[in-house]
Amino acid sequence: MSYILKTCNLIKTYNGKEVVSNVNMNVKKGEIYGFLGPNGAGKTTIMRMMTNLVKPTSGEIEIFGEKLTDTSYEFLKRLGTIIEYPVFYERLTARENLELHCEYMGYNDKKAIDKALDLVKLKNIDNKMLKEFSLGMKQRVGIARAITTKPELLILDEPINGIDPIGIKELRNLFKMLSKEYGITILLSSHILGEIEQVADTIGVINNGKLIEEVSMESIRESNTEYIQLVTSDSKKAAYILSNNLNISNFKVIDNGVIRIYTNTVPQSIISKTLILNDVAIEAITKKNSSLEDYFLNLLNGGGTRA
Amino acid sequence: MGVAHVLKLMKLEMKKNKVGGNIKGVIIANLVIIGLLLIMIFGSIKDGSMEFTSFNFTFSMVDTMVKATFIIFASALLARIVIEEYKNDTITLLFMYPINRKKLIIAKLLIVVLFTFISIILSNIFIDFVLCITNSFYNFIPDKLTTALIVNNFKAISINALASTGMGLIPLYFGMRKKSVPATIISAILIVSIICSDNGGYSLSNIIAIPITLSIMGVCIAYLAIRNIEQADVNK
Repeated sequence: MSYILKTCNLIKTYNGKEVVSNVNMNVKKGEIYGFLGPNGAGKTTIMRMMTNLVKPTSGEIEIFGEKLTDTSYEFLKRLGTIIEYPVFYERLTARENLELHCEYMGYNDKKAIDKALDLVKLKNIDNKMLKEFSLGMKQRVGIARAITTKPELLILDEPINGIDPIGIKELRNLFKMLSKEYGITILLSSHILGEIEQVADTIGVINNGKLIEEVSMESIRESNTEYIQLVTSDSKKAAYILSNNLNISNFKVIDNGVIRIYTNTVPQSIISKTLILNDVAIEAITKKNSSLEDYFLNLLNGGGTRA
Repeated sequence: MGVAHVLKLMKLEMKKNKVGGNIKGVIIANLVIIGLLLIMIFGSIKDGSMEFTSFNFTFSMVDTMVKATFIIFASALLARIVIEEYKNDTITLLFMYPINRKKLIIAKLLIVVLFTFISIILSNIFIDFVLCITNSFYNFIPDKLTTALIVNNFKAISINALASTGMGLIPLYFGMRKKSVPATIISAILIVSIICSDNGGYSLSNIIAIPITLSIMGVCIAYLAIRNIEQADVNK
């Protein structure tokens, strides 16, 4: 397996406080890696270290197969980034900002700018200075800037911040397209699970500076099969009938009256029929997919106190 | 290769910060200085005081005023090109380019240095020239303008311009501490008011050791700003 970006026991300490602790991340070539964690978990600091803006207290980062040092510059040519929020030269127009970017990157294809602006669906902006843009538009210009130079790796920190729902969907498709058609590896952070789960191939979950889990979406989906959720006034009796009459052992009584049944051998109709015949009142019965949200909330709260 | 690269970076900086727009500022500053000097000259003729009756005094007066103006001008430029880049966090962007950070900062400082130096020299020459023309009509300076006098004056202008350019970098220290534009400019005003204030025709800048020492300090500050730039964290 070839990794495009790896961190090894990465630690960053500010004034004696460890904000990033022993992080080992592995981003595979070609995948979309979703970096998930609440605000202040250390995502931005890690991304700043990957782009050499912040130096690790200890540990190392390997990018494009080479170890990052204070004087590494060449790798930046192959990188497109937005860190924290997109910053621009506000007195210039979007196009001027992108032209400047190409000059600094040493990238000469001027047509690439039009193409990038097109991909993020920005039009009629040529006479507007950046300071007149909304946050959502700035995000789009930022993404356009990051992809103009056709990078091999995109590092995007909270790229959907400030973008409306339709725009979010467009960007999601854009990320997938960039990954599939151009083979660009994307590392993308967010504190919103819903966004990450819809695009990512691998998810890294971070909390309090620690990488709690790094797992492929595929394996999460496999391990979280669907279940039947039952709401009843008499969960004790219902549980008894489930195990005795129907021989179902794989179920969980959640709390007052909610039972989750994990089975695909006994159909829902049989369950409801049997319960009713045994005088268990059913208030609701539905088929559900175990939400990823539960999975991640569990991870984030893991070890901590439960509400 | 290295020099060409820095030149290219300077060009990009000038484009980015619209440095060309400052030329208008230089011209306005020159006109204001000329206006002030003419008021002083004709005022002193009216009072019958002897102040502007020698070229040496007049030229040194011009130099002091030009120096004071452009040290402050330099600080405004420093604020625009260096301090604001940190304050607006565009330094994050700049430092993610595949370009040596030392070169990036050197390009910025070179713009300020060259701009200040050239402005001081040209402004001195221009204002001295205007005053000499005026003098040929009103004859308030009876001395003869000899070649030796002009050469000596030019030497003095050059040395002072060098010293002032160096001094112009001192505000970088105060500005960078808290990434503050006002601190940058106020420190320049303080420096100017200390060394250029006139005490009966003399100011601290007439004691050549003082401007030269301050100038060396300015260069050291610039050096310190560049030295550890590759090891430093760039945080918001």
